[in-house]
Amino acid sequence: MDVPETVTAALADRPIEGARCLEAGAGAGNATAGLLEAGADHVVAVTNEREHAQTVRERVSHDRPDRVQVLEADLREIPLPDNSVDIVTAHALFNVVPPAMLDAIAAEMSRVASPGAHLVVDDYAPLPGEAAMRDLFAVENAAAELAVGRSALSFYPARVLRGVFESYEWVHDRTKSVLDPVPWTESHVAAHAEAARDFADGGGTIGNLLAERADEVATKIGSESTGEMYSLAMVLPE
Amino acid sequence: MQTRPLGTTGQESTVVTFGAIALNWLEQEGADQLVELVLDHGVNHFDVAPTYGDAELKLGPKLREHREKIFLGCKTQERSYEGAWEKLERSLDRLGVETIDLYQVHGLEYADELDEITADDGALRAFREAKEQGLIENIGLTSHSDPSLILDALDRIDDLESVMFPLNPVVDAKRDDEHDYQAVLDRADHEDVGTLVIKAFAGGSWPSTEELPEHRRPYANWYEPVDDPETIRDRLNYTLSQGVTSVISPGDPKLVKMVLDAGDRFEELDDAAQRAVREDARHDESPVPEQLHH
Repeated sequence: MDVPETVTAALADRPIEGARCLEAGAGAGNATAGLLEAGADHVVAVTNEREHAQTVRERVSHDRPDRVQVLEADLREIPLPDNSVDIVTAHALFNVVPPAMLDAIAAEMSRVASPGAHLVVDDYAPLPGEAAMRDLFAVENAAAELAVGRSALSFYPARVLRGVFESYEWVHDRTKSVLDPVPWTESHVAAHAEAARDFADGGGTIGNLLAERADEVATKIGSESTGEMYSLAMVLPE
Repeated sequence: MQTRPLGTTGQESTVVTFGAIALNWLEQEGADQLVELVLDHGVNHFDVAPTYGDAELKLGPKLREHREKIFLGCKTQERSYEGAWEKLERSLDRLGVETIDLYQVHGLEYADELDEITADDGALRAFREAKEQGLIENIGLTSHSDPSLILDALDRIDDLESVMFPLNPVVDAKRDDEHDYQAVLDRADHEDVGTLVIKAFAGGSWPSTEELPEHRRPYANWYEPVDDPETIRDRLNYTLSQGVTSVISPGDPKLVKMVLDAGDRFEELDDAAQRAVREDARHDESPVPEQLHH
């Protein structure tokens, strides 16, 4: 499968060859695909969504069942032993992790990492104030608050995530920009509008208003290139 | 507008080359105005061909008026010695000039054509004679065919001064050999051959003529172009950031001004910004399953 360039750029300077890897928050399995392509010994892809697990199985593990293991699990309880992986990736994970869960997930990602392990965290910096995409994310978050009592999206500055992992003994290696600006294409905008509508569904009158608003905002935006995606790399001392 | 050296020709070409096919769609007065506009932006490299309708004839008057300011590229699709001589003389006549600065093998498509032009009775012998006689100054080649064919041509033709080939972020995002025009750029750079880029502003293919008849296409390009100033600027910045000498302006006169403005404001893109343009183009080209992330 195609590996997005954001993933190849983030992994390019990491020692992936022969490594035992964990993709935390596998989504569509983009990092898993990138790790395999870069010569990982094996990859454990962890996601708490059944649909994502299916996608990763279909896209990635189908051809390489011996090198990929897809686990449906909560990242606050990763079903792996201590010190069992050499590379931990979180590619576009933390923007869907609300602040209340951030620490517990970082703790688990750190527990399973062996001494000398590398951590790669790729995510979106907070969007600039003038970005129209912020309106769409605001609606998506409002709908999520209404439906499940928490935000759908949180954009953490690289330094915030760096600080969290430093508190678990990780040492900062480098931060680099992988997309600048970020192209929110029509398909990304449509996907976020749909996510907002899904949350709004069943939310009564307010839900209906939010769903309408999501469509309006998405139509108005069309597509927008704004903000930055960064890649943060850290190392756990031997 | 910035300039870059065109291989070893001694010519410093502006980062935008005027694709004179755009003149074909205009009346003479409009053609004159467009050439003046292009020159006002400082563009000093023009490219034309006998196959672009009336473009040579319409370029003629302003070209002759400003001959010393313009590095003139022309080309021929003739592959034989006789044919190339004929077409060269015809172009000189239609353009009304004494010399052509860069005469190019036009649209090399198949391997057997490369055999033909390099043969004893091939077009390149005519090119070389014309060069000796001072009718042309430099020899180039254009192709939108397989990168491997262009690499072969670079191998087999020692006196090539420039190559013209497609390059844009959509093509660049595809990582197979069939789309590896970066390899052409690398080889040309290595051999100090100038690089001229076509299709920098290509969006996708037009819908079939059944869906959208040719006369109803909104632009007179072979492909559906990107057509808003920001995207055009991204595309130009992107292509020039690959290190090519110059980018040919698109065939539709409506888009030429946007490209000239983008050329005036050219800024080198860093890796993250280049990746952003490729990602954007990749999604435009092939709508992948809807994803929230990059």
